Amino acid sequence: MNSSLGNLKISKFKLGSKGSESKNSVSKNFGSNNFGSKKKAKPKSEEESNQKLPQWMEKRFPETRQMTLDLKRIFVFLTGTSGALLIAIGLLFLMGVNFQSTLIYALSFWLLALIIISIFFTYRNLSGLTLRAVQASPCFAGEKAVFELEVSCPKQQKKSAICIGWKNQDVATVNLHDNHTIHIKLSHSTKHRGRFKPEKLSIFTSYPLGLIKGWSYALLNMNSIVYPAPLLQESEDKGDSLDEEADQGMEIPRGTTDFSGIRDYQAGDSPRHIHWGAYAKTGKVQTKTFVDYASHDLWLDWDALSISGTEIKLSHLCAKVLQYHQEQQVYGLNIPGRTIQPASGEAHRNTCLTALALFGEGDHSDAQTQVSTDGIGS
Amino acid sequence: MFEKGFPQDKLITYSGMLWLLAAQIVVMLPLIFYLPIWLLPILIFSAVWRIRVMQGHNAQPGNFIKIIIGLLGLGALAASGIKVVSLDMMASLLMLGFAYKALEVIQRRDGMVVILTGFVLIGVLFLYNQSMLIALYGVLSMTVLTGALIAIQQSKSYAILPNLRLSSMMLLLCLPLMLLFFFFAPRFEPFWKVPQTSGHAKTGISDSMTPGDIAELSQSDDLAFSVKFEGKRPGQNELYWRGLVLQHFDGKTWTQSDIPNGKGIKIGNDRLSEKQVAESIVKRGDSVEYEVIYEKSGQPWLFALTPVLEVKGRAFLGGDFRIISYRDINEPKLLKLTSYPKSLRGVELSDYDRDLALQLPDGGNQKSRLLADRLMASSASKQEYINRVLDRFRQDQYFYTLRPPTLGSENSIDDFLIDSKRGFCAHYAGSFVFMMRAAGIPARVVTGYQGGKWNEQGQFLAVHQFDAHAWTEVWLEGQGWVRFDPTAMVAPSRIEQNLETAMESEGSFLEDNFLSMSKIKWLDGIREKIDSAQYAWRRHVLGYDKNAQQNFLKKMFGELSVQKIGFIVGGLFAGIILLWVMFLGLARKRETEAEEHQLYRRFCDLMAKKGVTRDLSQTPETFRRFAMQELPDLAGEINSFTQTYSSVCYDPSIQSKHQSYIDDMKSLLKKLNR
Repeated sequence: MNSSLGNLKISKFKLGSKGSESKNSVSKNFGSNNFGSKKKAKPKSEEESNQKLPQWMEKRFPETRQMTLDLKRIFVFLTGTSGALLIAIGLLFLMGVNFQSTLIYALSFWLLALIIISIFFTYRNLSGLTLRAVQASPCFAGEKAVFELEVSCPKQQKKSAICIGWKNQDVATVNLHDNHTIHIKLSHSTKHRGRFKPEKLSIFTSYPLGLIKGWSYALLNMNSIVYPAPLLQESEDKGDSLDEEADQGMEIPRGTTDFSGIRDYQAGDSPRHIHWGAYAKTGKVQTKTFVDYASHDLWLDWDALSISGTEIKLSHLCAKVLQYHQEQQVYGLNIPGRTIQPASGEAHRNTCLTALALFGEGDHSDAQTQVSTDGIGS
Repeated sequence: MFEKGFPQDKLITYSGMLWLLAAQIVVMLPLIFYLPIWLLPILIFSAVWRIRVMQGHNAQPGNFIKIIIGLLGLGALAASGIKVVSLDMMASLLMLGFAYKALEVIQRRDGMVVILTGFVLIGVLFLYNQSMLIALYGVLSMTVLTGALIAIQQSKSYAILPNLRLSSMMLLLCLPLMLLFFFFAPRFEPFWKVPQTSGHAKTGISDSMTPGDIAELSQSDDLAFSVKFEGKRPGQNELYWRGLVLQHFDGKTWTQSDIPNGKGIKIGNDRLSEKQVAESIVKRGDSVEYEVIYEKSGQPWLFALTPVLEVKGRAFLGGDFRIISYRDINEPKLLKLTSYPKSLRGVELSDYDRDLALQLPDGGNQKSRLLADRLMASSASKQEYINRVLDRFRQDQYFYTLRPPTLGSENSIDDFLIDSKRGFCAHYAGSFVFMMRAAGIPARVVTGYQGGKWNEQGQFLAVHQFDAHAWTEVWLEGQGWVRFDPTAMVAPSRIEQNLETAMESEGSFLEDNFLSMSKIKWLDGIREKIDSAQYAWRRHVLGYDKNAQQNFLKKMFGELSVQKIGFIVGGLFAGIILLWVMFLGLARKRETEAEEHQLYRRFCDLMAKKGVTRDLSQTPETFRRFAMQELPDLAGEINSFTQTYSSVCYDPSIQSKHQSYIDDMKSLLKKLNR
């Protein structure tokens, strides 16, 4: 079983390292991470095997939102402990032969059988386990992205000491005894801004006896937005162009401060703003509209920055967004290919940060990081 | 290699720790009966320290302390007087390490070491004792060790019972496979000579006899061997289980002759062919066929009705009509024997053998010698002389006793024969042979067992150590070696019944053996049942050696070829695996998924085969549109399949017609598949 993970080639997974050049390359690259490699690589071209999982693996571990471990997805192999036990069995067998002791024979055979049955118990411990991607939280580059997973198993089963994690990241140990569904949060460190899709998740256990290791992978279709690392460039203060729009600043429609006019009622309008006077007179429901004035509308403008370097600019803008958000300012963002009108609040901040994160990836529409969770797995 | 890059919690939980300690104690407990008893306190000391560390009372022992404690243990072991190169020493060292390991177990890896050592120690226990009870205890130890193995894998502490249940279940499921291995795995002869344990100390009849030896033996109610007869069982007074022939007398002790014969081999212990034996006897009477299981004695001597003409099993025919094991008997040994007890033996007596059978020390025991001269002078024939000596035992004030007075070392025959007249079988046999030899009649002492206890339940004869007996053989012209038992003159009940009856008035049967259950009469029924079970255990389990294996397999499967065995083993193995798969519920597939989802999944696979692959982001609805576009021929089916699927999934009003919808999906799928 061990060698069945055969023909993977070692390759480095460089997520978004080429900045804007690596358009959409992420999704193609996902599998070729640092997982263990073995001797007999197929005579494929180096390039190809670097880029993809071997075909059989790809088939077995398709990218899904939800995956249930089953026969074709679980690998089992002997652990070091079973090696040690085999040595002990050999010793006992020798003892049995030399002392002609039937009972010691039986003991050694029983232990051998124990190793063999362990395969089935360990397999059973993994089999039927279902992983579902729930949610991924955004983070700043260099921090850890947190992914929420739902781990479940059929009702009549129990799962013990199952480890779930990415290579070189934290590993969570899961026990499903009384609950058959739990949520776990796994974190993965990030390096670069952009859309971060973690490599395949390893799920392994050596329960119950530690003699056999059961191993499986899950390539869950979830990604987290990694914002640029906030990094303020002190010398470039003027660059973020405090572009105060005349005296009045910019109008923010649907405000609450200044009356701006009357229009027909629309569903969703606050009852407080209904023009009851007009209703009494005319019987028509009308709404008074108000505007807020962002008197100090701030614009974070890419072109106005005099610092050079795409990533440095993005980092700087990111830091600024955070600063303004904390100061509860109203601010807008203007970067090549995307302009976000001034606003404030949590959602606005996220929109801006997401725009910065995905700068150059050509896909600005999906700012949501929620993983959709419809019923069917694939 | 896979573990790299996956940091895990490698520490053992508190309950795992307690499991380990419990397993250690369970494993060590029976071994302290055979090894220094202070090993147990060491374990308890280590365990208590460990628990206090876990509870935060004590600090982790430092290396210095560990070394000091280790040296103390080794020193104690050196002082305990166990031989350095012996199994006892190896076992003790293993135990010592096992006990100390409790001090430093924290990580899973340490726990594994402890448990693996525990498994080996169960094997060591079996070297010391192979009884059914110990085997059961071994199973218990296995269960606890396996439970501990489970417990140290767990990342949380759980209750004891589920672990115990799981470990018993695993072991139970292993049983068929273990039996498969057990029955079919090839058996080998020992690869090299191994040191013996103290549990293999010599017991039973030895190759020398000093009056008192057998009396000592008669205090033991250990089993010597068990016999199962093929046909009719000979009468109780015919059951002379002949073992050793003691020819040499030094005035006090009878030993096997140490005068080398021409070939430089101790006489009697060399191997004879069946033909050679057959030549030296005149076959008379019916054969007695029987099967004997000898208990371990640490000696090669075997006991049988003499003369034995056929031996099946690992033993050979020796000189003096004896059978001898190739190796010391350290585990129960099974032999199938055929004897002709009525035959004449050694009608021709060589000069060499005559000299051996007439040997007497140069001086001493003058009174007895004079008595012999006087009796011989007044006897007309050798036969009459023998009868007069026997009559003397019968008619004079001789007593059969297990409490004979101490005899002097100079003239022990005189002391008994003339003065005390109180003795056990060894006294009678020894002095009788002395009397014969003093009169020039070739004679020798024979030791072995006489009688035995019939087990009605198991239909076998159990011969115990207290059945040990000494009698004599006298060589008579034309008759060869003839058995005479002077004890029968003094205490006929010893021969006709058993020692217990013979000692009834004296009350000395097993008197030193306070713990013996054999004296408790009302336990006889239960004892018979237990003995019978133990006989079956020895016969069928412990006795399952190379021969037994061949016989068993032949009986079960007929003539065997390697190929046939391969098929049988392969088939049984596959059967066991199938059993496991069924039992563990591994055969059930995707039971978690509702049928409609399975069908939809098949639908997607089918579409993919036709070149339309559903993308992750596509809902069933978008996929339907996409697929209908791509496969216009099948648009109708795709449409209705998806519609049906959606209704089954999301329309609660169709609950009652659920099955018909599923059927629709199935038939649509069939159509699509065309």
